Amino acid sequence: MGKVIEAKNLTKIYGKKSAAFTALDGINLDINEGESVAIVGKSGSGKSTLMHLLALLDTPTKGTIEIDGQNATKLSKRQLNKLRNSRFGFVFQQFFMNANDTVLENVILPLKIAGVSRFKRKKMALEALKIVDLESKAKNKSTDLSGGQKQRVCIARAIVNNPKIIFADEPTGNLDSATGDKITDLLFALNEKRGVTLIIVTHDEDLAKLCKRIVRISDGKIISDSAVRKDAQAKASERREKEAARVKRANEKEAK
Amino acid sequence: MKLLDIISSANSNLFRNKTRTFLTILAVFIGSFTIILNSAINSGVNDFIDRQVESAGGDGYLEIMTTEAVDTFSSMMNTSEVQEYKEKSSNGQNSSYITDEQIEKASKIPGVESIDLIYFATPEYVTKKGSDKKYAVTSLNLMPRGNVNLDVTAGRKPDSTSSEPEVALTEAYVKALGYNSDEEAIGETVTFAVPNTIACYTAVKREDCLKFVDAKVVAVQAPGVMATGGMRANLALNDAIYQLSTEGMPEETKRHAFQATAQVEPNKVDEIKEELKKIGLIAMTIDDEVGMIRTFFDAILVVFSIFGAIALIAASIGIINTLFMSVQERTREIGLMKAMGLSNAKIFLSFSCEAILLGFWGSVFGIAVSMAIGLIGNEVAHQTFLADFPTFDLVKFNPLNMLIITLIIMFIAFLAGTLPARRAAKKNPIDALRYE
Ligand SMILES: Nc1ncnc2c1ncn2[C@@H]1O[C@H](COP(=O)(O)OP(=O)(O)OP(=O)(O)O)[C@@H](O)[C@H]1O
Ligand SMILES: [Mg+2]
Repeated sequence: MGKVIEAKNLTKIYGKKSAAFTALDGINLDINEGESVAIVGKSGSGKSTLMHLLALLDTPTKGTIEIDGQNATKLSKRQLNKLRNSRFGFVFQQFFMNANDTVLENVILPLKIAGVSRFKRKKMALEALKIVDLESKAKNKSTDLSGGQKQRVCIARAIVNNPKIIFADEPTGNLDSATGDKITDLLFALNEKRGVTLIIVTHDEDLAKLCKRIVRISDGKIISDSAVRKDAQAKASERREKEAARVKRANEKEAK
Repeated sequence: MKLLDIISSANSNLFRNKTRTFLTILAVFIGSFTIILNSAINSGVNDFIDRQVESAGGDGYLEIMTTEAVDTFSSMMNTSEVQEYKEKSSNGQNSSYITDEQIEKASKIPGVESIDLIYFATPEYVTKKGSDKKYAVTSLNLMPRGNVNLDVTAGRKPDSTSSEPEVALTEAYVKALGYNSDEEAIGETVTFAVPNTIACYTAVKREDCLKFVDAKVVAVQAPGVMATGGMRANLALNDAIYQLSTEGMPEETKRHAFQATAQVEPNKVDEIKEELKKIGLIAMTIDDEVGMIRTFFDAILVVFSIFGAIALIAASIGIINTLFMSVQERTREIGLMKAMGLSNAKIFLSFSCEAILLGFWGSVFGIAVSMAIGLIGNEVAHQTFLADFPTFDLVKFNPLNMLIITLIIMFIAFLAGTLPARRAAKKNPIDALRYE
């Protein structure tokens, strides 16, 4: 398993001079292909800032990020856009859906940006909706959906371009625990069955324990980086397997 | 993102906030409607004037007056200024009259083919020969020699080289005099009654001082606006009437004329005008006269076009405002699309597209409504004040003009859209995603 992300000495300073605020301070972090990593910390510790830097949405004040061994700080804007569009998937704390568009249109968006043809992108979006079990809602206005359904649409949107890495910032933050579980199950099923690398920002310890690895940050520094104990992970595995089986069935059905 | 996708999503974004979009399009529409209708009226009027010019006097036809007469006319129009008195010539003759000497000189200018003095003499009434039904004559104009066309519905134009008196009637006189059709009138003889100026000073009864002249009807005129509908006499008839009305006057007085007409070689018009000026005569072609009417219409239309332009400027501000609001509302969406890899250039393009579409829809509605109103206007005009001119369309639509106007409006809209589109393109995806 190779490194997909390699961050060296990442520092992010907001503002200038007297108003300067160091949100991240000398972060070193390697993420391997197929890993599931939770980034945990108190509010304001710099979790989102770190995720934005890793996802190449923002540039660090100091330090470098390598994606697949390639220095991302040296890429042109165009190459950056291409990289994000083809390799990354995003799930945000807020849904960020276009309220007036249909569910299908929302899921199609990354493919539209990539310039995929009309016919092909519709097919791909329907497949993604099938995985989150919302095929039947494809033609609905996105405002008609419940909170959990909306987040599932966001996951469909994040996976529609078959990304290698999914960045999720508080994916369950807005949801009740039952619905939140469904979302986590979906994400981990993708991690296990498709080998998608998961980077989840959260302050929910239970969610964090589902990951193979937890990175804790405080005041912009990594204070611990450790594998999760097996017994903690086992609690969730039963539920995960059930969901994984369902995804498998869906995929098999589609293959026919 | 493909261009077609950008255009179609720009269009659907526009109609997210229907009321706001509709009001902005309405503002563009007011401007485009004014300008398009205006240019259509301009085409219609100019086309009409062109056709009238052809029937009022063609190439090389000149109307001539003395410089003094022109001055007198213009000072009559301008009563607010008092001119210094200029002494008249020693024989007391009014120098506004064209003299024999001037005619003599003018006829020798190379390129002048013919020149005739015009005497004005209006008969009192006309009758069908032998009938005692009398009809008042308000205007009988000379059909001069030279390149002047007359639109006729029957017959041919009066021949001013002929020595026989000839007349072209109008349709109103044909009816009044009792002919069943225009064709029936042709070749008939009518009689004009002419008052003799001197005899009428002393006559007890009006009939005692009237003299009579017969004329052959050679034409019935088609309605037009330039010659204001009067009957037309050939030179022989005009002369005969003038002779009868001035009989008994001194020869010198008889020869008083303010106006002359000339036919000259068309390509020498400008030089000949210069030469005539040297001998105190001012010549005007029909184009010169029509030019004034044209300038008058053009001025009115320019004023309306300015209204249209002002409306468009206001509409541009509306477009800027609408798009700024839209950029603000869609901050997160912009951030999301940027996070997903949409380039700044395409964000700019997509908002510019919205601006251009606002311009486009405004123009399309402008064209549709002005065409509808134009067609209704033409129909109404043909049934009322333009009933006599079935070939004259008040409003004439020129597809190329409309296309150009639409493109210009779309370009103006694009320019207005660049401000908000730039703001959208420059948004930082992180800030946009953090935006509450
Ligand atoms: N654009 C900015 N300008 C200045 N300071 C900022 C900016 N963005 C974030 N910060 C600061 O950086 C610190 C880290 O912010 P960040 O959003 O990464 O926190 P977080 O760990 O994600 O918190 P939460 O759990 O509440 O989402 C905070 O103190 C925040 O105030
Ligand atoms: Mg955060």
